Amino acid sequence: MKFDIDYIAHNNRLSDFNMYVKVIVAIGLMIITLILDNLTLDIIVFVLMAILVLGVARVSVKSYLKFLTIPIVFAVITCLFLIFFFGHGPLIYDTGLWGIGITQSSLDLGIKTFCRCFACFSCLGFLTLTTPIADILQCLHMVKVPVIFIDIALLMYNTIFIFLDQLDTMRNAQQTRLGYTGSKNTYKSLGMLFSNLFFRSLDKSETLQCSLDSRCYQGYLPVYKPKRGGK
Amino acid sequence: MLKAENISYSYDDGTQALKNVNLDVEKGEMVSLLGKNGAGKSTLFLHFNGIYKADSGKIIIDGEELKHDKKSLMKFRQKVGIVFQNPDDQLFAPTVEEDVAFGPLNLGLSQEETQKRVADALKRVDMEGFERKAPHHLSGGQKKRVAIAGILAMQPQIMVLDEPTSGLDPKGASDILKLLYELNDEGMTIIISTHDVDLVPIYSSKVYVISSGEIIKSGTPKEVFGDIDLIRSANLRLPRVAHLFEILDKRDNFDLDGDYPLTISEARRLAVELHNH
Repeated sequence: MKFDIDYIAHNNRLSDFNMYVKVIVAIGLMIITLILDNLTLDIIVFVLMAILVLGVARVSVKSYLKFLTIPIVFAVITCLFLIFFFGHGPLIYDTGLWGIGITQSSLDLGIKTFCRCFACFSCLGFLTLTTPIADILQCLHMVKVPVIFIDIALLMYNTIFIFLDQLDTMRNAQQTRLGYTGSKNTYKSLGMLFSNLFFRSLDKSETLQCSLDSRCYQGYLPVYKPKRGGK
Repeated sequence: MLKAENISYSYDDGTQALKNVNLDVEKGEMVSLLGKNGAGKSTLFLHFNGIYKADSGKIIIDGEELKHDKKSLMKFRQKVGIVFQNPDDQLFAPTVEEDVAFGPLNLGLSQEETQKRVADALKRVDMEGFERKAPHHLSGGQKKRVAIAGILAMQPQIMVLDEPTSGLDPKGASDILKLLYELNDEGMTIIISTHDVDLVPIYSSKVYVISSGEIIKSGTPKEVFGDIDLIRSANLRLPRVAHLFEILDKRDNFDLDGDYPLTISEARRLAVELHNH
């Protein structure tokens, strides 16, 4: 099975844990790290979140690392850029090219930004990996985010999976007929893939509308508050 | 109970999808609508709850005609529950329970009543324990069950299912049909569209055959499948067992006089009878 954040969010030991606590912990810590801007705190938050995700929620290390790969790449690129181009004062390392080098101030800035970025991201990661989207949307509802945004987010979130599924099937079908041999072919196939996806999506949205209408859709999605024992 | 009178409908591009369709479904019946792909089955179904508006003709439930104003539509959509062919078109909520709760909440029911209905509906389709699962993590058969639960929770009087067995494995398909049969036994009026001719005679009390937007035959399974030429002209076929007995009759001189068993149990009875002779 492919790496599926949604699947992990539904199937870990914290999935059914009180969502408000999770949201407050994640967002709260994130805001604190942003405000306090303290290197030690950043590292503590990162470690704490890693413990929560890996130790308490029991998400596999492999999945967690996979989840962190993309932000790591971004953070590293950004921070390298900061380290080499945003300094002032004497150079502590000189590349010898057009005066580009590392200064103490830029090094500090780079490392600090990296840690902060990571601390915040691990908070978000904790939330994403342990909380099903339904809970997050319900929290948004609690803080009075306009219904229309939540409805659109919800519908989009769910159609993404159908969309990706279709994309996968169609691409496989194209590959079966050697649609991606050579760059010219690839461009052509990609073009057809996306135009086809567009029309299919239109079709799907029409059917979805019919099926919603069939169940007395009133123009907004009502909120269901399920009864939960022991929570 | 549900009556369609002279329904005609054409698509925006002018193709006539339905021509003078008449349908009469009694309370407690299980009716099958047989027809090849594109015969107009789905289009007809979407007339029953006013998603499509017929060019001419009427839909009547319990003597009341469907009008296309909000109040009448709400009423008919509660009474006629449509289960779509592809559960992915129907299941949109992030969790199973929220999807099932969608209909009842739209009807304006309280959270408590909705909770009760969700629990009952999921129990009825054997999907208890899946409340918090995401629909896209379920198998095809399970999705179908959830889709049915979503309709059951609205407590309709008539359930309309568009190709309920399509895309399911044999076990999944027969489980769904068994569930429908049980529901029917409990008093629910059910209309299904299908081209699964092997299962139709087992479950249906009445069969309509639709071809190019026209009802070309209706009656009991026996009557409908008795007209072999018509069945074949509509791109359908006899049930496998019936086909076997047709061959036995025509080629091996079994002398059955065109009267073929449609189900395994009928065939068994006939075989035993022939053996004992």
